[in-house]
Amino acid sequence: MPEFDPAAYAAQAAAAVGLPLDPAHLPGVAMNLALAARMAALVEKAALGPAEEAAPVFVAGREAGK
Amino acid sequence: MRRFLSAAALAAEIRAGRRKAAEVVEERLADIAQRNALSNAFTEVTAARARAEAAAVDAKLAAGQDPGPMAGVPVAVKNLFDLAGLTTLAGAKIERDSPPAAADAFLVQRLRQAGAVMLGALNMDEYAYGFTTENEHYGPCRNPHGRERMAGGSSGGSAVAVADGLVPVTLGSDTNGSIRVPASLCGIWGLKPTYGRLSRRGSFLFAASFDHLGPFARDVADLALAYNALQGDDPQDHAQQWRGVEPVSAVAEIAGLRIAVADDHFARNGHAEAFAAVEAVARALGVTRRVTIPDAALGRAAAFLITMAEGANLHLPNLRRRAGDFDRATRDRFLAGALLPAHWVQQAQRLRAAYQAKALRLFDEVDVILAPATPYVAPRIGQDMIEVDGQSIPVRPNLGVYTQPISCIGLPVIAAPIAEPARIGTPEGLPIGVQLIAAPWKEASLFRLAAHLEKLGVCAAPEPKA
Repeated sequence: MPEFDPAAYAAQAAAAVGLPLDPAHLPGVAMNLALAARMAALVEKAALGPAEEAAPVFVAGREAGK
Repeated sequence: MRRFLSAAALAAEIRAGRRKAAEVVEERLADIAQRNALSNAFTEVTAARARAEAAAVDAKLAAGQDPGPMAGVPVAVKNLFDLAGLTTLAGAKIERDSPPAAADAFLVQRLRQAGAVMLGALNMDEYAYGFTTENEHYGPCRNPHGRERMAGGSSGGSAVAVADGLVPVTLGSDTNGSIRVPASLCGIWGLKPTYGRLSRRGSFLFAASFDHLGPFARDVADLALAYNALQGDDPQDHAQQWRGVEPVSAVAEIAGLRIAVADDHFARNGHAEAFAAVEAVARALGVTRRVTIPDAALGRAAAFLITMAEGANLHLPNLRRRAGDFDRATRDRFLAGALLPAHWVQQAQRLRAAYQAKALRLFDEVDVILAPATPYVAPRIGQDMIEVDGQSIPVRPNLGVYTQPISCIGLPVIAAPIAEPARIGTPEGLPIGVQLIAAPWKEASLFRLAAHLEKLGVCAAPEPKA
């Protein structure tokens, strides 16, 4: 498994979402992606089973006062 | 001129006919004109509106009608709340190009219905993405307890306007700590209600999964007055869970409340004054019990990722067209947030639910948990790094280390200011606060405890020295 390269990833992912990245912004973006990767590594530590759903729950509708 | 007004006392005087709302407004406008430059709290003063609203309150009273429980109370709101006829800036230069708001935000409407008088809009971090209110476009907000110090954020102007005595009540928003952090750094009371309690309609969202709105005040009675006025049914906010109005009071009564101190994550990651503040409150209450909020650090990580992704998605059109117009403090975080793998965000949302389930079990055994609000007192404006636990770390994101895990799961929190911060040894006697955390929908328990702490004298808003 190659190591995560935030600068290279940023360039490719930005192209995928149609986000022009000014080269002057790239170091800051890469730094924040590296920080996000560290947070993601923490989140990955959680042992989640298939029955464990995401927090947001869609509500089909609500009447006033209820 | 009385510098610190009590909203409750002021409303009582106006309702009794001893003061005119119009006179109070003129006094406040003059004071703001004279002193706002010291703090940079207000970004817009709505003088004409305030005069008209005050006149309407006085006219109602003259006609024998009830103008409401906040009759004539001067208020102001973070500049992400819609105020009819004004462009909602949300701390951004980009939003100057947006049309004026067509209507007041729901909570602004609630304040007006209660008789409050709107004095203006308040400074904040751009798009609420920050803990410091060092806004590049509108200037830094300055802490009344040391003008070279950060106000905290993102609702920095809201905290400063109250701490400085410009108005007695303000509103802010809290996604990851943006009410509790500035309340702590400025030494005032702040309430982040349960997620879904108050309508967010007409406020500029940041990360909708976590966005809460709430009030700031200098005492518990005013915090309760404002919170009671803000409650209202709004089916247009899909996140609101309407339970009817559940009024709170500032009656000091803690019989039956089981209280404990949060340990583990909340007993490290900060400076001595953060823990001394919690211990001062615990000692005053005779609390020795410790509890661990399980997976708090993981919850913070989840909040971090979800916030990045939701915030970036909201602003993607502008990030594509005019990234250079964002505040440099937010720009690269938003750009990075637009690029996160979906798996990271979805895993974070699943972890959030699992973390919530574990944390809620704690409330089978305790009613209120005490935790630090911020890891240190207000840093100096412009300070980038700080030493914590022997490591030099970025000062700004770490300001939310204790608040993020709690808003991640929507628990109600009152940030309570230590009355005499110098006595617990804070640097330069600067303010600091404590989080009082309860189970969902238990705001009333928090108010009972807050009033008790105020009565004991351990928690109160310290007066700025100058």
